Amino acid sequence: MKTLSPLNSSNPCLLKTHFLKVPIFNPIFKFKPLPHNTHHARIAKVPSFTINSKLKSSQDINNKGKKSVSQKIVLSETSPPPLAVDKDDINGGSGNESVPVSSKKKGGVSGLAKKLSKKVLQILSNLSLAIGEMFTIAALMALGTVIEQGEAPDFYFKNYPEDHPVLGFFTWRWVLTLGFDHMFTSPVFIGMLALLGASLMACTYTTQIPLVKVSRRWAFLHSAETIRKQEFSDTLTRASIEDVGTLLMGAGYEVFLKGPCLYAFQGLAGRLAPIGVHISLLLIMVGGTLSAAGSFKGSVTVPQGLNFVVGDVLGPTGFLSTPTEAFNTEIHVNRFYMDYFESGEVSQFHTDLSLLDMDGKEVMRKTISVNDPLRYGGITIYQTDWSISALQILKDNEGPYNLAMAPLQINGDKKLFGTFLPVGDINSPDVKGISMLARDLQSIVLYDKEGKFAGVRRPNSKLPINIDGSEIVILDAIGSSGLDLKTDPGVPTVYAGFGALMLTTCISYLSHSQIWAIQDGTSVIIGGKTNRAKMEFPEEMNRLLDKVPEIVESSSSQQVDTITSG
Amino acid sequence: MIFSTLEHILTHISFSVVSIVISTHLITLLVNEILGFHDLSKNGMIISFFCITGLLITRWILSGHLPFSDLYESFIFLSWGFSIFHIVFCFKKHKNDLSAIIAPSVIFTQGFATLGVLTEIHQSAILVPALQSHWLMMHVSMMIFGYAALLCGSLLSVGILVITFGEVIQILGKRNNLYFLIESFSFVEIQYMNRNERNNVFQKTFFSSSRNYYRSQFIQQLDRWSYRIISLGFLFLTIGILSGAVWANEAWGSYWNWDPKETWAFITWTIFAIYLHTRKNTKFESVNSSIAASPGFLIIWICYLGINLLGIGLHSYGSFTSN
Repeated sequence: MKTLSPLNSSNPCLLKTHFLKVPIFNPIFKFKPLPHNTHHARIAKVPSFTINSKLKSSQDINNKGKKSVSQKIVLSETSPPPLAVDKDDINGGSGNESVPVSSKKKGGVSGLAKKLSKKVLQILSNLSLAIGEMFTIAALMALGTVIEQGEAPDFYFKNYPEDHPVLGFFTWRWVLTLGFDHMFTSPVFIGMLALLGASLMACTYTTQIPLVKVSRRWAFLHSAETIRKQEFSDTLTRASIEDVGTLLMGAGYEVFLKGPCLYAFQGLAGRLAPIGVHISLLLIMVGGTLSAAGSFKGSVTVPQGLNFVVGDVLGPTGFLSTPTEAFNTEIHVNRFYMDYFESGEVSQFHTDLSLLDMDGKEVMRKTISVNDPLRYGGITIYQTDWSISALQILKDNEGPYNLAMAPLQINGDKKLFGTFLPVGDINSPDVKGISMLARDLQSIVLYDKEGKFAGVRRPNSKLPINIDGSEIVILDAIGSSGLDLKTDPGVPTVYAGFGALMLTTCISYLSHSQIWAIQDGTSVIIGGKTNRAKMEFPEEMNRLLDKVPEIVESSSSQQVDTITSG
Repeated sequence: MIFSTLEHILTHISFSVVSIVISTHLITLLVNEILGFHDLSKNGMIISFFCITGLLITRWILSGHLPFSDLYESFIFLSWGFSIFHIVFCFKKHKNDLSAIIAPSVIFTQGFATLGVLTEIHQSAILVPALQSHWLMMHVSMMIFGYAALLCGSLLSVGILVITFGEVIQILGKRNNLYFLIESFSFVEIQYMNRNERNNVFQKTFFSSSRNYYRSQFIQQLDRWSYRIISLGFLFLTIGILSGAVWANEAWGSYWNWDPKETWAFITWTIFAIYLHTRKNTKFESVNSSIAASPGFLIIWICYLGINLLGIGLHSYGSFTSN
């Protein structure tokens, strides 16, 4: 394929390297990296203007495609030098195409497959598609919060009826066929997420990773015209480029000086961090998939003093879930107790648990509370809820009787439990008795058989109360602990993704600034640009350039006069 | 007792100071610029910042836990976040451009919190067991800082849209009319030249009036401000969402439950990710990205306030109905 020569030959160095047979190492420059216009870095994000071309050098045909050199010529409509030529020495794949020379010789199916994958890759890494996907996902999520999730089909028949549909067209048929009643696990939503994941992968591969190679090459601009056309540009008369370089180094830039040309940059991490962001997003997606497909969940309410076996409680969530040895552990609730504020409200609830293995030996013992779970063998046990299971009372010094308590009203942490002790003939149709109500394990309120308030007793006081001729002593209020159990193989991956995402998002806030300068006689022409901190950059540059010393030449020798030039 | 009266006094002082600041801004808008007022507004914002800080600290001391437990306190924290951003940008830039947006935000949030529906919840409440965790500090503070920054940024984007509204209509509507075509060219050309040839602007324009030039300069500045502040807000939002997810895993066993509040926070994150990505395509970047960021304002309010109004889901302790 022929190469296209650049329209603007503002960079004379580039012209020369075009027609060399071995375009990789240009003998003019001492530095190894290739010269190219760094505008490419910005331009790479406008893939619609990319023209891919391949330059075959004579070596290629001999090496049978092991080393292929390709050029990517990118047009942009924004900045004045419209063409940039990027030469990459590719061993394998890079950029938007990865067709080695040999495939042309093999031809046939593999060539077709490669062409197809190249096309697919190009479509997937389109930015507008990605934006559209993100928007669709956001819209679906919003819809998922508006439409009630997880209800029986009856609910949707009632609320989205066909005779007067919501918004004129939205009936229950839409909801149920598209799976909007379980939006966040519906095929539509998962499909969009998968598409976004594919776009992320394609974009990372095609656009971001070449960016690494591009940004790490320093490129000198050799024409004053180009430098003047930068976002920020200035001319210093009677200055030397070495002073500028020293000042920039002092300000934290990495400076490269070659002859009359200077290139400095700062904050390269800010340009590369978005790659890290995309990769950590992919990591989170992978971890999330693993969690969804391979974990076990279960919850149980265990009264104080009872046991349960882990494996009985846990149920799988997906096809990758495999139980482990630890599922045979038996868990014994030793004690459940609550802490209270002075106002009487619940401050924290705790459960003292012992884990016993199959032989009955205790392998672990821990008191858990909310925000403080127990971890053993990949299983995590969380304290999530509580209730009161029974009241232990003495009636007329007989007993102890355990009266089961039933929940009467649950409102978050404000619960009401009650129980009933029948008095008189149990089998008569309108049996009356003593009611006992409790909001927490602290105090029990007792009512007599007419429903009148009789008194309040605390379980540990052991004070008797006389109601309707019976003497009741409340021995204990037995609570039960609401525990949630879970195994989740995806958690380490997801946590790694979270940490990476936080870190890389922080880093990508940094601004990548680049400065070029040329010594033109006695004056220095400086230009620069930055990708994020566009407001602070000119001011920072002005402040820096104010410090450049002005050179005042005397007749015989050069004397550097430290009058600062403005 | 002393602390609650102190709280009371501080609330009133900050509220009145901010209203004075806004009135001075309005006066300078309607009447001509009066020199002394510039300093007055800057000092006024600083005073209100200290007042709100004092308010938060007294609530902290009074209740023994960080002031995050309910909606009222998080509103006060939001107005504190606004005033922090104002102070930071004020000192960095030595200009008060943003105070036109931030000052009313401070006063509205604080006013709503103090005088609005939440009058019963002024007394410091206790922390329910689920909130007694070290993650509370990081998650809630990051989220609220994120909301404050993103609200500022989206308001700036709305401002950009309002200013360019006329231009956009002209460009879109009357493409065949030569006059408007040239006008649109001059607009685009000025943008182009502002970026590349700052010094030679006046030599090359033929149809540009100085009004056009200043307007496009202003739009460019607003655009850059909003980019920077939305990036910062996006960062805070990301950290807030992720720390919330880790906390949820520690407390309830699962890091993402598609809870309405979580989902809307994710929607907010997605919208601003769209904003950041529309800036990659540098043609018409300011207009396109402003269109992307403007719905963000509404979405943040839905996420922050709307979900709590409904009182559903795991975040229900922030709602009006639960006490």
